[in-house]
Amino acid sequence: MQLDFVNRELTIKLVYYGPALSGKTTNLQALHKSAEPGASGRLMTLETKDDRTLFFDLLPLTFRNQGSLAVRLKVFTVPGQVIHASTRRLVVQGADGIAFIADSRSIETQHNTESFMDLRENLKQHGLTLKQMPLIIQFNKRDLPDVRSDAEIAELASKGREPVYLAVATRGIGVVESMIGLLHLTWSALDAEHDLNKKFGFDSKAFLAQVAQKLGSPKPVPEILQACVGGALDVLRPEAG
Amino acid sequence: MLPPAAAKTFDELTLGHGVCLEDLIDRDALGEMVKSFYELFNVPLRIFSEEGKLLGDAADQIPLYAFLNSVKAGRAALSDVASKLKTLPLGEDGMASFLCSTGESYRVATIQYDGKRIGRMILGPFLALEVSEPPQTLLTLDSTLDAARLRELFQAMPRAEDDSVVKLVRHLQRTLDLLLFSGHRALLTSNMHLASVRESFRELEDKNEKLQTAFDRLKELDRLKSNFLATVSHELRTPLTSIIGYSEMLVEGLAGEMTGEQREFVQTIRDKGEQLLQLIKGLLDLSKLESGTMSLRKSQTDILTVLRDVAQTMTPTARKKEVDILVEVENGLPLIWADAERLRQVFLNLTENAIKFTPPSGKVTLSARITAIDAARSDDAGGVVILSARRTAVEFRVADTGIGIPEGERGRVFDAFYQVDSSSTREAGGTGLGLSIVRRLIDGHDGSVRIVDNTPKGTVFIVTIPVKRATIG
Repeated sequence: MQLDFVNRELTIKLVYYGPALSGKTTNLQALHKSAEPGASGRLMTLETKDDRTLFFDLLPLTFRNQGSLAVRLKVFTVPGQVIHASTRRLVVQGADGIAFIADSRSIETQHNTESFMDLRENLKQHGLTLKQMPLIIQFNKRDLPDVRSDAEIAELASKGREPVYLAVATRGIGVVESMIGLLHLTWSALDAEHDLNKKFGFDSKAFLAQVAQKLGSPKPVPEILQACVGGALDVLRPEAG
Repeated sequence: MLPPAAAKTFDELTLGHGVCLEDLIDRDALGEMVKSFYELFNVPLRIFSEEGKLLGDAADQIPLYAFLNSVKAGRAALSDVASKLKTLPLGEDGMASFLCSTGESYRVATIQYDGKRIGRMILGPFLALEVSEPPQTLLTLDSTLDAARLRELFQAMPRAEDDSVVKLVRHLQRTLDLLLFSGHRALLTSNMHLASVRESFRELEDKNEKLQTAFDRLKELDRLKSNFLATVSHELRTPLTSIIGYSEMLVEGLAGEMTGEQREFVQTIRDKGEQLLQLIKGLLDLSKLESGTMSLRKSQTDILTVLRDVAQTMTPTARKKEVDILVEVENGLPLIWADAERLRQVFLNLTENAIKFTPPSGKVTLSARITAIDAARSDDAGGVVILSARRTAVEFRVADTGIGIPEGERGRVFDAFYQVDSSSTREAGGTGLGLSIVRRLIDGHDGSVRIVDNTPKGTVFIVTIPVKRATIG
């Protein structure tokens, strides 16, 4: 998080993490597509010829709250390929919240696990733990055959602490919900640490509603948050305080 | 490895606090674009960074301004306009217009990137279409200026409608935004390349450090092992000397006459004691060589003397096995820089080995001839042209007609305690230490040793030792 007192501007860094080809970039593309003009800047993608992310993708989103605090969200992806370990570590540095994009297909389970361990290791290198980090998990590619069943995911999700979302990023399904869930968690953690709502007269509920609306989701925020199939959304993480 | 001083951190570059116009756009190319814009639309254009640095300018060709600059009052008026334009407050839409006291108009607009102002563009001066006469303020600026000329130059000023200028501004802003975006992306890419190389470098350094620590520890352990071996060998020799000495005295009858059987038993004790002493000496040598504490006393050494001496010493052993020993040395061989005693040990060892593995009526030949070696090691990848200064060397051969050494084993026979065939050892005796000591001694002479086949059967050990001290490598 970066706070610019002069311009009353807060920049929050969100990172989409996950194994190669799980749909991180597709998530950002879907967000970019659904965002109102003016709310979203250009989506910057640094890709190789085969459309794989080379370093990261960067989507800037800007929202201005009634409390006159401008909130800029910078959404990053990391390159999923194993060889880009050093780049992943650089990008994940300073993240305020992380969305872990998992591939729902059964054959990809191992890759999901490896990538998650990699995330844990990279956070450790920066002196952080998973517990401290606002984190949601998205099971993407729900439309493909041979995916892990809804029941299986729901059962696993009910045991874990991280909110879990189901998505088909190529069709924009579940993308905004995941983002709002992540933002909700991230904001709660940042507010617990820096007392932002009070200091800036910030209305976080109205802010979430504004973000949802500008991302093209007219539903009320509580309804959007309910899209989560497990985990704890409303628990403030005490470790973050 | 430190990053270049000007390098910005990843966060500075991506979270939008460190990006400035000069970083993202090539200044020369921007200047060209500004000029081309002026040629196309006939509206002068200047571009400033947020700090007020002029980055692109196509306004210096205005004839009226050149004329005004020739007088003091004109210069003052123009500089007043210039400073006002740089600090003119801009409206909500990031734009403002400015009308000079001398009658011309300007349009000032912000250059934004990622929601932040990073510079401003100034379009003008231009005259609105409806302006026909220069204002009095211009005509009365300085009485020395020719009024007719002023009028003429004023009329020649670029003319534009404010609406069209606003459209031009919007177009320019979009064009610049695209350029800035591309510049930013390129900057980020190169920055990420650097950063990830630096990160990988750091990782490798970490690993290297760990390896170095492990390596140092192993070296220390190896040294301890050699020390231990040296101490133990030394301590073993002392009692052994007494065992050999007393059994010798017994055999010589110093303690009274012995029966034949007693003498035979004591003789066996003495022989085995001698064998054990040789083994311990070998271990001691090896540990000294391994720990690098054996010093070679090198001097100019005559090869023929060494080889003859070896042949003489080994003759009794050879006779016992009915093996002939021959010495063949080329005439006129030079003296070589070597430790004569250690060289003798090398060839004693090789000759003893050769005799051991040669069946009766075979022969062992010791020979020496002059040769040349390349100073460049054969496994060197390049620079042979430069490095292959040829050095004179002496090549020794110890050839036997024995059982031979299979090709696959030749590299390993020099390892300590290695035996090609342990059954032959039981028959022929030996500890497996000799050749490893031989190789280390030859290494100490900057020489080499290799094994080739003897025809029709047997083995040849070829030892090459340079004549002079090594000066390369």
